[in-house]
This record gives sequence, structure tokens and C-alpha cells, in this order.
Amino acid sequence: MKKRLTLTFPKRTINMPITYRLAKDFNVAANIFRAHVAPDQVGKLLVELSGDIDQLDAAIEWMRANHIEVSLVNREIAIDQDSCVHCGLCTGVCPTESLQLDPQTHKLTFTRSRCIVCEQCLPSCPVQAISTNL
Amino acid sequence: MRTVAEINDKIRRGTVTVWTITEAKALIAQMGVAQAAKTVDVITTGTFEPMEGSGAMINLGHTDPPIKIVECHLDGVLAYSGFGAVDLYIGAGQMATPGRESEAEEKGGGHVIADLVADKSVTLSAIGQMTDCYPRASLDTTITRDRINQFYLFNPRNLYQNFIVGVNGGDRPLSTYLGPLQPRLGNAVYANSGALSPLLNDPELNTIGIGTRILLGGGEGYITWEGTQHFPLQRRLPNRTPVGPAATLAVIGDAKRMNASWVRGCYFKGYGPSLMLGIGIPIPILNEEVLMRCSVSDQDLVAPVIDFSIPRRVRPTFGLVSYAQLKSGRLTLEGKTVRTAPLSSLYFAQQVALDLKQRIDDAEFELTAPVQSLPTDTRFMPQDSWGQ
Ligand code: SF4
Ligand code: SF4
Repeated sequence: MKKRLTLTFPKRTINMPITYRLAKDFNVAANIFRAHVAPDQVGKLLVELSGDIDQLDAAIEWMRANHIEVSLVNREIAIDQDSCVHCGLCTGVCPTESLQLDPQTHKLTFTRSRCIVCEQCLPSCPVQAISTNL
Repeated sequence: MRTVAEINDKIRRGTVTVWTITEAKALIAQMGVAQAAKTVDVITTGTFEPMEGSGAMINLGHTDPPIKIVECHLDGVLAYSGFGAVDLYIGAGQMATPGRESEAEEKGGGHVIADLVADKSVTLSAIGQMTDCYPRASLDTTITRDRINQFYLFNPRNLYQNFIVGVNGGDRPLSTYLGPLQPRLGNAVYANSGALSPLLNDPELNTIGIGTRILLGGGEGYITWEGTQHFPLQRRLPNRTPVGPAATLAVIGDAKRMNASWVRGCYFKGYGPSLMLGIGIPIPILNEEVLMRCSVSDQDLVAPVIDFSIPRRVRPTFGLVSYAQLKSGRLTLEGKTVRTAPLSSLYFAQQVALDLKQRIDDAEFELTAPVQSLPTDTRFMPQDSWGQ
């Protein structure tokens, strides 16, 4: 079971070794997609947690008890097939290579499971074919 | 070997052999140049890419009382009206005027042209000069392509023969006409379809010239002149293909008969609007030499990698790279792997070539021999009249 979450840390919990505790106490692996942590500021992490469903829930509960704000990422990227011209421009800026051109047909392919919803592709599309569902 | 007239004869009799450029590359490799040249009559090429050097001529038809337009906006985008009465020209790269009624900010002439081609209605707001012949002071209406007298694309610069590859060696993101270029060589964008590209398969424009009938935006069009910035003297490889931007074409075609799939407005964030356009060009296989040029592959075509972080006329370059390398999706610059992405749609380019092949097969499209070749010795003159 995998869950994508945005974690928001209040200033005082920033120093907590979060991924270590998740792994050790809950057997939950954390894959960090994006981190924004600066001294004396609120920190933000975009993570994908994987583990047993009960332990995932327990881990989320534990984080909330420690004043870490947890929100599920359910935004998704959508590609409008009627507008897309398969120019491929978005493939050069996608950090996870979720967007690629098929080497045979040269059509755009989107691998949703790899997408981290970083939205870098949005402004790159010259025909505004890419959107998020929010 | 064969003439355009003979090819047209075969088209009418339904005995013509047409290959798309993609088919041609494979078949030439299989059967060899001599045999292929005997077999095929026409090779169709296509491209689909942003072509900023595009625009539409519109003649509204006269109003009653008549008007001589001095200023005109179409969906908030300024159209040029300095031709007298009701002639307008709307350029693809013209941005919507801030504060005009246009709903979207990221909009320009390319979108207005595409909307008209798609049979959508467009608002027109014009001011008249009020003369004795043209007393009307203003005109506010909506137009569609069927409610204007004439509407044709008249593009001063389309179809670059080769182009550049853009990268950004600086440390801030850049918004360019090639889309976003990420700092520290974060990505590379190329804008030509390489071995599929029409003018790279006839590098010296031996079969293509003024009067050549083409497929423009899904309708019929013609090559009318050299394009602006036509630069045939660009340095060339032994296979005669240029190592950077070279020939360009001016083209014309009836926009009322175009297809919205091949005419699309686009917008580059932080740069401006443009028009994405599909153009198909037939190459009549007059002799073995013409066919041999069509066998060129991505390995044998190159483009210069240009650093956009220095905004000068002559930007620093990282040297030449082959289209085979570019299409592999990766490139090495200064020991660093850089992702490459096209801007010219390779998928649509092939669809355009296929569409043209179909029309020739169905005897709906005949070839024309050029009435005049395009100039081969034009120099590129910079604008250095003051400063420096
Ligand atoms: S949101 Fe990010 S990861 Fe997802 S497709 Fe766009 S650029 Fe790629
Ligand atoms: S940039 Fe837009 S039009 Fe081009 S391939 Fe990506 S989604 Fe399609």
C-alpha cells in the first residue's frame, strides 16, 4: 500500500529524524519527492509512504500527534487528448520522466504512477493541454 | 527520368506510386537508390510546428454605410488595417492588447486565426476614419469564417530549413520561443523534425520553388516567395544540408478551407503567442539525385546548440549535434547529460505526410512545377545602422 502525502512541520519538529522513525517504529518506507525545509521556518515534504495499511495509518496518527500536519495528495495531472499536439515539449521538463514520447509512434505517453504532481509540465505546454484536477 | 506532367498524368489515371518520407527511408534502404527511383513517383513530407511568421489576410466585405477602418481588434488582438477600407491583417505573434475584452490573457493572433478556422465566432471592434467615401465611425460585431468576404493565410516566414537547439547555461530559468529553458543546462529543446523535415529532404530546393502547390493547414496552398530571413548561404555539409537555419518559405492558402486540426493557436509562457501549423510538401522524384537526397537520415543532419542565457544577436554555441542524438532524448554537454525534447511534433509531421499521400493517391491533389526557383545566394544582412 502506498500513500502520497504532504507533510507540514511546525518550526519545532523540524529536527525530528522523521524517515528514521517511520522506518524503525512503523516499518514504513518514505520516498521524498520534494522538500522545502529552511531554518526557523515551516517545513514541507512531499512524500510517498509505503508499508502495511494498518501501520501506515498508525504512522499518520503518530505524525499528527506530533503536530505534523498531514494531507493526502489527490491532485492529479490530466492531459487533454484533443488539445495535445504531441510536440513533446513537456517531456524535457518532467523530472520523473512520467511524460515521454513513444520511440516508435512519437506520441506522448503519460505514466501516471510515476507522476509526483510537481506541476513543472503545466507552464511548458504551448497549447495548455495539461491541467490538474484542482 | 520523369516530369511533373507525367506524374500528374499517372495521378489522374490512378497509377501513381506515392510514399511518405517515413516509408521512403525504409524502402530506399531496402531496395537501393536506383531501384527506388524507378519505383516511386512522389515522396510526401510534412511538418507540424509553431510558425510565428504566419498571419491571415481578412477582407470583411463592405458595411452599409461603409467604413474605412483605422484601428481594429479581433477578440482583443490588434489587426493591422493600413490597406484602406475593410482589409485587415492579423499576425500570429500579436499579443492580445491588455485591457481589451479578450477573456484569456495568454492569447494572441494565432488563437484568433485558429478560432476562425475552427468556425468559432470572433468579436470585431473597429474604428473608422470618417471620410466622404466612408462615413461610418465604428463597427462592433462578431464574425465567423463564413461571414467574412475573404480569409486566407499569408505567411511571410514558414518552414525553416533546419533550426537551432536551445539550452540555458545561466542560473535563472528562461522563457523563450522554444518554451522554458531550465538553468544550468537543465534541458535542451530542438525545433525541427530532422530527417522528416520537408526542406532537409530537398536541401538545394531543386524541386521546390515559387508556385509549388503544398498542403497548408489541411487545405491547398502555394509557395509564393522566399521567406523572410531566407539564408541559403548557410554553411552546408557534404550532403548539402545546412548546419543551422537556412532557407525559409513564404506561403499562402485559403483559410476558409483549412482544417482546425492542423491550425492551432499556441502560447509560450513569458514569450508570447504563435500559431502551430501543419504543412505538407510533395517531392516529385524527377531523377535519382532527387531520390538520393530523400534518403538522408538523422545521423547525417546536424543543428547548433545555442546558449540562450546571453541575449545577444550572436549567442555562444556548444557546437553541432546530430538529430539522431537529439531524438535519442539525451545529449552530453560539458560532461553533463542533458534531456532533449522536440518542439516540432514528429507524430503530427507523419500524419500530415500521410494525409498528403492519401490525397495524391485519391487524385485530389496534383503537383505543380515551380515557375521560378528560390534565390540561392541571398546574404543575411544584420541591422547595424546605429549603436555599437
Ligand atoms: S506533474 Fe511533474 S512529475 Fe507529473 S507529469 Fe508533470 S512534470 Fe512530470
Ligand atoms: S507540451 Fe502539451 S501539446 Fe506538447 S506533448 Fe506535452 S501535453 Fe502535448
